[in-house]
Amino acid sequence: MKHFKIFIWKEFLHIWRDKKTLLIIILLPIIEVLLFGFVLTSEINHVSLGIYDQDNSDWSGELTRSFENSRYFDLIRLYNEQDVEKALRGNRVKAVLKIKPEAEKSLQMGESGIMQLLLDASDPNIARTIEVYIMNMSSRFMKQAGNRKNLLDVQQLMYYNPDLKSVFKSVPGLMAVVLMLICAMMTSVSLAREKETGTMDVLLISPLKPGQIIIGKMVPYIAISFVNILMIIALSVFVFGVPVRGSLVLLFLFSGFYVVCALSFGLLVSTLVNTQQIAMMISLAGLMLPTTLLSGLIYPIRNMPRWLQMLSGVFPARWFVETLGHVMLKDSPVYYFLQPLGYILLITVILLLLAARRFKVRYD
Amino acid sequence: MENNIRAAGISKSFGSQVALQELDFAAAPGEIFGFIGADGAGKTTLFKILTTLLRQDAGKAEVCGLDTDKDFREIRRIIGYMAGRFSLYGDLSVEENLKFFAQVFDSTLQENYELIRDIYVLLEPFKKRRAADLSGGMKQKLALCCALIHKPKVLVLDEPTTGVDPVSRREFWDNLKTVAAEGITTLVATPYMDEAMQCDRVALLQEGRILQIDRPAQIIADFPKAVIILKTEHNRNQLIRKLRKLPEAESVFSFGETIHVTCEPAIKGKLTAAIAAAESGISFQPEQAAGIEDCFLYYMQRADGRENN
Repeated sequence: MKHFKIFIWKEFLHIWRDKKTLLIIILLPIIEVLLFGFVLTSEINHVSLGIYDQDNSDWSGELTRSFENSRYFDLIRLYNEQDVEKALRGNRVKAVLKIKPEAEKSLQMGESGIMQLLLDASDPNIARTIEVYIMNMSSRFMKQAGNRKNLLDVQQLMYYNPDLKSVFKSVPGLMAVVLMLICAMMTSVSLAREKETGTMDVLLISPLKPGQIIIGKMVPYIAISFVNILMIIALSVFVFGVPVRGSLVLLFLFSGFYVVCALSFGLLVSTLVNTQQIAMMISLAGLMLPTTLLSGLIYPIRNMPRWLQMLSGVFPARWFVETLGHVMLKDSPVYYFLQPLGYILLITVILLLLAARRFKVRYD
Repeated sequence: MENNIRAAGISKSFGSQVALQELDFAAAPGEIFGFIGADGAGKTTLFKILTTLLRQDAGKAEVCGLDTDKDFREIRRIIGYMAGRFSLYGDLSVEENLKFFAQVFDSTLQENYELIRDIYVLLEPFKKRRAADLSGGMKQKLALCCALIHKPKVLVLDEPTTGVDPVSRREFWDNLKTVAAEGITTLVATPYMDEAMQCDRVALLQEGRILQIDRPAQIIADFPKAVIILKTEHNRNQLIRKLRKLPEAESVFSFGETIHVTCEPAIKGKLTAAIAAAESGISFQPEQAAGIEDCFLYYMQRADGRENN
């Protein structure tokens, strides 16, 4: 075991000596969380909303004022159809709420469909969010105004994330991306470096077993990954108020499974290449892009064409994001985790088998 | 246990590229055995087979009675290997490198300190320095220490002197002789022909074949040709081109300042006189004995000639 211990010691030294890379590994998650938390939000604040009030009754005036008083919307009054058209096309407003003539009367007679909402759907995610906000606000207004009857056919309740804060969704996705980056890329680059400098030959000749070389490479990165997980969670809880409703132990346990899966990815990559540069390229192009794009971090998976949805299942990030959602936001019962967790384990086993087949004790 | 490295009929190809063709050799305990050859002659391939990193296509090799193919795990415990690029960790200090290579082979620095003491005293002042910041000569010494620290029975050194200054090279060969005196069999590959004289025995390798194999002094003694060594005051390249046209001159090579011409010993006097008469500004070296390099160049040229015919 002496040779295994010294090998792990050496791996930690490599990481510790390379201060620049270490700094990137530690800072990257912080920067990404802040970036996604503050900048890349799809929640809405002061969205310009056009109102075309064709009714001009007391009731419609009240409704308009309730929108005016909200911090979500900046109101722009429009007076005819051409105005509506121009405002939408000219990007002056993101949405227009049309109140039909005689709306108040129709309402009293119990008719529905007295309002119409026009949305600029060039950014579909934002359009959908605006829609939800307006629906919620108007139904709240109806209740306050004493109208028991609902003027809208759908009543929506936003569970788990009532303010639709996008950071709630970004945090699991970010953890998936950051861990994949650190575990897969760093291990593959680190193994490729041994090959590049020729030290791999000496390691192979040494009494170290292939399994020990592989695990020895993984251990330091598992340690760093957990530091990262802690930082991401601390940041999202204390800065953005993301809740951790489920068990923290489960959260770490699942992260552990995912980390091993990502490491196996890195391992497989490193058995396929001989230089650090190519290892880096494959990790970036082959893992980072699919992980970011197909994990549901940026684009919702249910909006993807069917074949892409199936493809996303190949990447463990998708399943990790799903489990994290259950643990952090929903505190779901355990059997909800089992399917995504099963996929992660399955992918890990396949990757390790492939890597073991490809890992050569002798070159041929 | 007369020979502790034995190879018979070793062949290896990479696709259609033939790297080694039916190689035979044996090295005795404590012997320094040199492989001389240009890049691509097959030195590294042979060493990778002997260190069990590569598998030969045909033939059989044994290290201390262990088969390189079947008993590769046991062999890996008793060999020290220094790859051509000084396989060290540049970001680790001298001390840390040694500690790592000692312990990874289940040994300690203290256990075999005696073996590397002569080399390590030179490194000691730099022990806190990172290996990447060492000079070429120092890197080479450290790599040798790392390869020796677990007291291997066989030491395999792939071009240990390439890219190292002449003074360090000489020191290095002295170190190797100390190591060999401990009974450690040492295989050395080098592209420098002059280093052949430092070995107990050498094999001249070209295109995966051994052209000559013997003690260096014996190779010189068996050399069937005579050498004329001369200098010119005029353009050397022009003279070489002229001399190569002479049918009696079997080979003409430039050796730094001088030009070496090989020919049949019987016609040496006649050829010398002919050259002296034809050219002006020529002076002949008083010492006219063939060196190991003359022998190697001659055999390599001859092998080339056969290949082409």
